[in-house]
Amino acid sequence: MTRVIIVDDHSIFRTGLRTDLGDAVEVVGEAGDVDAAVRAIDELRPEVVLLDVHLPGGGGGGGAEVVRRSAALLAEVRFLALSVSDSAEDVVGVIRAGARGYITKASSGAEVAAAVATVAAGDAVFSPRLAGFVLDAFGTAAGAPAVAATDDELDRLSAREQEVMRLIARGYAYKEVASHLFISIKTVETHVSSVLRKLQLSSRHELTAWALERRLL
Amino acid sequence: MTQVAAEPPAEGVRVRPSRVRPALIRPREVVLAGVSAALGRHLGMPVALARVGFAALSLLGGLWALYALWIQGAPVAAIAGLAPPLLYLWLWAFVPRERDAPDAVRSRRVPVAAVLLGLGIAVALVVPFTWSPTHRLLPVGIVESTLLTVLAIVWTLAVDARDPQRAASAPLVRALAAGFLILFGLFLLPTAFVDSRTLVAIVGVALVLLGVAAFVVPVLLARWSARAAERAALAREEQRSEIAAHLHDSVLQTLAIIQNRAGAGSEIARIARAQERELRDWLFAGTDPFAGDLATELKTIARELELVHAVRIEVVTVGEVGAVESHALAAAAREALVNAARHAGGDVTVYAEATPDAVEVFVRDRGSGFDPDAVPDGRLGIRESIVGRMTRAGGTGVVVSGADGTEVQLRLPRGRAAASGVAGAAGVAAGSGGAP
Repeated sequence: MTRVIIVDDHSIFRTGLRTDLGDAVEVVGEAGDVDAAVRAIDELRPEVVLLDVHLPGGGGGGGAEVVRRSAALLAEVRFLALSVSDSAEDVVGVIRAGARGYITKASSGAEVAAAVATVAAGDAVFSPRLAGFVLDAFGTAAGAPAVAATDDELDRLSAREQEVMRLIARGYAYKEVASHLFISIKTVETHVSSVLRKLQLSSRHELTAWALERRLL
Repeated sequence: MTQVAAEPPAEGVRVRPSRVRPALIRPREVVLAGVSAALGRHLGMPVALARVGFAALSLLGGLWALYALWIQGAPVAAIAGLAPPLLYLWLWAFVPRERDAPDAVRSRRVPVAAVLLGLGIAVALVVPFTWSPTHRLLPVGIVESTLLTVLAIVWTLAVDARDPQRAASAPLVRALAAGFLILFGLFLLPTAFVDSRTLVAIVGVALVLLGVAAFVVPVLLARWSARAAERAALAREEQRSEIAAHLHDSVLQTLAIIQNRAGAGSEIARIARAQERELRDWLFAGTDPFAGDLATELKTIARELELVHAVRIEVVTVGEVGAVESHALAAAAREALVNAARHAGGDVTVYAEATPDAVEVFVRDRGSGFDPDAVPDGRLGIRESIVGRMTRAGGTGVVVSGADGTEVQLRLPRGRAAASGVAGAAGVAAGSGGAP
C-alpha cells in the first residue's frame, strides 16, 4: 500500500481526508506547516506527499517551499498538490517546484486515492484546469509558437502533447484520451509526464511570471 | 489653417504638383509653448529661425513700444510694437495640440514659473533703488512685480503640476514666490503711509490676489479631495486583499471540506459550492481581466445551474475569448450545460478555447448518454438550440453521446464572427491572444 503524508494546516481537513482515503492508502504522518512537513518527509520518507499549496511557516513559500526544501528526496518522494486555489500562480508555482500533479480539494476520496496511485507509479496527474493552464502558458491557443519538431524541445508542446492536453482539459480521463487518440494508456501517461517535465523546466515566458500575471481565474 | 490634400484629380488632367504642408499643430514636448515648432514645421523653415524671429521681433517691438510711449507720447503707436508677442499668444491659444497620444506627457524645456518669479523679483529690486516713494511709476512697479509673482504661482499650480519634469521643482518655486510676496508686502507697508498712491497700489494688488485666490482655491480643493478619495480607495483595496487572504485560508477551505465531506451532488455540497463561487467572485472581483466575455458568461451560467441542479461544473478557458463570438456560442453552450445538468448531473467539464481561427466550446458530462438521432422531433433542445443555432451563426455543433457520457462540441470560426458585422474585433482578439 502507498505510504502517504498529509500536509495541510487545517486539522479538520487532514482528518477528513484520512477518513475519506480509508484503506486505499496508508497515511503514515501528518504535518501542519512548512517546517514540520519538511521534517516529517525527511524522517518518514513517504512515497507520496499530499501537499496543500497554502501553508504557514518556513520562509512563507507555502507548499512550493516544502517541495524545494525536500528537493534532494524528489527521486523517492512524490508530491501531489492539493488546493482550494484556482490561481495559475499557485498551481504553476508548486508544479515548477517539483510536484507531480495537482487536484482540487473538492475531489472525492476515491479521486484523491486514484491520483495518489498515479503519482506513486511515477506518472503525472493533470486536472482539466492544470491542462488549461499548460495550453495557455505554452501559447498553443494563440497559435504563436509552432509545434515542437522533436519531443526534446522544452519551450513548445508537440502536436500529440497538445492533443492530449486538450482532451484532458475537456474532462477526458487518461483511458478515454487513449481510446480517443487510438494510443495506449501508457503512451498517454508518457505524454503527460513529458508535458510535466516541460512545465517544470521550460523558461518560456518565464512561466512563473506568466502565472503571476494571470492572478486568479 | 491645416492644409489637407485636395480631392484626387480627375483622370488625364495635368495637375501642378502641390506641396502639402504639414498640419499646423503644436507638439507635446516643447521649449515654451510649441508655437515656433508648429510654425517652423508648417511653413517648412528651421524651427530655430522661427524661434529667434519671435524673440527678436518681440524685443524690437517692446523697445519700440517704450520709445513710442515715453519719448513720443503716442500710446496707439506703442500698441503696434506689441504685435509680435500678441501674435505669439494668439497662436498659443488657438493652434491645436498634437492629439495622437491622449495620455502622453506634455513638457516644456523653459522653467516658465521660475522665469516669471525671477522677473517679478527683479522688478521689485529695481523699484526702491530707482524711484523714490513718491515717484509716479512706483505703483506700476509694485503691481507689475506682484502680478509676475502671482502668475508664477498660478503657473506652478495649473501647468507645472501636470509636467513630470517640473513636478519636483514646482513646490519650491511656489514657496519662494509666496515668501517673496510676504517680504515685499512687509517692505512696502511703511511706504503706504507716505504716499496714498502706494496705498492704492497695495489695495489693488490685494484685490488681484483675492481674485486669483478665487480661481486657485477651488482647484486646490478639488485636487485635495481627489487625492483623499484616492487614498481612501487604496486603503479599501488593501483592506479587501487582507480580508481576501484571510477568507481564502479559512472560509474557502471550510467550504471545500464541506463539499468534500458531503459528497458531490448532495444538497449541502451544492450550497457550499455556490457559496464558494459567490465568495470567490466577491473576493477577486476586478482582478479578472476578461470580464464581460465568453469565459465570464460560461462561469455565470455554471454558477446558476449549480444552484438549481445536483451538478458540479468546472469551467476551463484557454486563450482570450472575445465578446464578439459569445452570443450564439454562449446561448448554445448554455443549452448544452442545461441538458448536462438536468439529465446527467454529477461532474461536468466546460472547456473553451480561442485559437486564431476559431472559438471552441466543449461541454462534457458523465451521464448515461443518449442517442442524439433518437431524440423526438418535438424536443427542440438539441436540434434547434444547439446544432441549429450554431449552424445559423456560421459554426458547427456536434453532439457525441455514449455510455460514459455526452460531449457537446461547439465551434465558431473567427472569420464568420468578424464578417457578421463586428469586423476588426476578432482580429484584435487574435492578435492579443499571443501573450496572455
